[in-house]
Amino acid sequence: MSGRRVFVLGGGISKFDKDRVDGTMRDWVVEAVLSALEDAGVDIQDIEHSTTSYFSDHFDKQLKAGAIFQDHIGMCPKPNLRVEGGGATGGLAIRNAYAYIKSGLCDSMIIYGAENMGRHVPSDEAQQFIALASDTDWEVQVAGYYIAYYALMMKAHMEKYGTKEEQFALVSVKNHRNAMYNPNAHGPKEITVDDVMKSRLIAYPYKLYDCSLLSDGAACLIFATEDWAKKHCQGWEKKPTIEFTGTGCGTDFMRLADRPHPYPGVIHFRGKREAAKMAYEMAGIKNPLKDFDCFEVHDAYSGVELVSYEDLGFCKEGESGKLMEEGVFDLGGELPCNTSGGLIGFGHPVGATGIAQGVEILKQLREEVNPKRQVSLNVKRGGMDSHGGTGTFVTVNIFERRD
Amino acid sequence: MGKVKTKLEVLTVSDPMPFAHPEGDPWKDFREVEKVRLEWTLTYNHSLGKYSKFFLGLEEGKFYATQCPKCGKVWAIPRPVCADCLTICRWKELPGTGVLETFSISEFVPSFMKVEIPYVLVLVRMDGAPDTLFTHELKNYGKREDIKVGMKVKVVYNDGPVEHPIKLMHFEPL
Repeated sequence: MSGRRVFVLGGGISKFDKDRVDGTMRDWVVEAVLSALEDAGVDIQDIEHSTTSYFSDHFDKQLKAGAIFQDHIGMCPKPNLRVEGGGATGGLAIRNAYAYIKSGLCDSMIIYGAENMGRHVPSDEAQQFIALASDTDWEVQVAGYYIAYYALMMKAHMEKYGTKEEQFALVSVKNHRNAMYNPNAHGPKEITVDDVMKSRLIAYPYKLYDCSLLSDGAACLIFATEDWAKKHCQGWEKKPTIEFTGTGCGTDFMRLADRPHPYPGVIHFRGKREAAKMAYEMAGIKNPLKDFDCFEVHDAYSGVELVSYEDLGFCKEGESGKLMEEGVFDLGGELPCNTSGGLIGFGHPVGATGIAQGVEILKQLREEVNPKRQVSLNVKRGGMDSHGGTGTFVTVNIFERRD
Repeated sequence: MGKVKTKLEVLTVSDPMPFAHPEGDPWKDFREVEKVRLEWTLTYNHSLGKYSKFFLGLEEGKFYATQCPKCGKVWAIPRPVCADCLTICRWKELPGTGVLETFSISEFVPSFMKVEIPYVLVLVRMDGAPDTLFTHELKNYGKREDIKVGMKVKVVYNDGPVEHPIKLMHFEPL
């Protein structure tokens, strides 16, 4: 691979909320982009390339929305492309920036992502749009939809390892609590395990508070080589330098039913293990639990975060529930996860979600977040896991502080 | 006066990010918002393609899988090409019985799916297809406590009429 190195110059996030009645996707993209440009100290005129990240053409009833975003942020006539991989779309956009800059196709790239998941369509139609992200002949027609798939995955995890509902309820408590210190968050809440257990049963074993949020919002990140940053970034020397040091991607069968057993079976995320292995090798990670200061994990449902800990190599298979009880992944724990609040507390505007994870890691590594959710930096490294479908697309990306 | 028949409301919204704008709302000229309702109906002349024999089999009360002639793997949800070795598969009839691998019980199902709740979605390891699973609904299971991982189940066929041919079957306890 080329010796070129890729750096993270800045990031911005719009407010995530259940219904951004004040505008539409293009408005939130502009918000996030303006904020990222200011954060990076960069003029849009200087940036050479962009990547568009959004999942659904249906929610906004707009094909080719990337063309609109591109002209709204003053990037025309410069090059752009769209990436899409369900919930992993944002992570794929981050990985795309790495590939383009590393290869020398460009020295700088802005990536922007958004989703209109709020109340522009009735909730029932929203569920239908999301269900279309599974096999429409073999799964959707038998009333398969995402909560039900994840519920049967978690049921299998409980059967095999003895994982308890109270253990994954702790993930929901943690993520809603972390979101209290994130002003951009959709769902900040101080709740207890009992509140989660007593919230409305949606699909056993998942209750309402175990679920991520359908959010409106956008996020943006800017990447470049160091030479480009020195030339075009005002205040580059003043801020901590953050390097993009590892990226991995994995996939699995669309339908759970087709996956090999015993691993991953219908329990684990094989694509995540693959993505993590690739990214860890690039960044020289030997012991993931100790080699990161913070990690943003794709908590589509609370149990997904537990299983992800196992497939990301933070612990052995079946041990995540116990470590959760011990507080390993809480603020102040050995490896704080989802300090932003994650998809459960911060929110899940799909195309923005993975990019927002990157913004959180960038700001954590620069020690710029609310002190109440700031982690202490030891190895000066953070990771993020962006995941689509039931683990059909997964990316793992790693940022490191250099000083 | 111009009239808009789809108009839902006109509202004045506040700044959703006041914490980021200590010097005032930068978008103050753009806070009046109009909402209209747009309807969208879609029709698909949908092909079941190379899966068609499976669906036509259900009309005859037969359960077809596909088998790879090279590696021998049986795909319970049939696929025309073996995903393990990229060999073109052959159809193979299965007895339609199997073992419940895992399940979920939904208390809520999006209404477009037109099913009754609670709705039990199951993954079944079909007899004759030990390496893959089949996804469908479990009905007539008695009490929900009676649904157990490892229980024997069978395919039950119906005469319809149904909207999608996969609805010509479901699972029940054996």
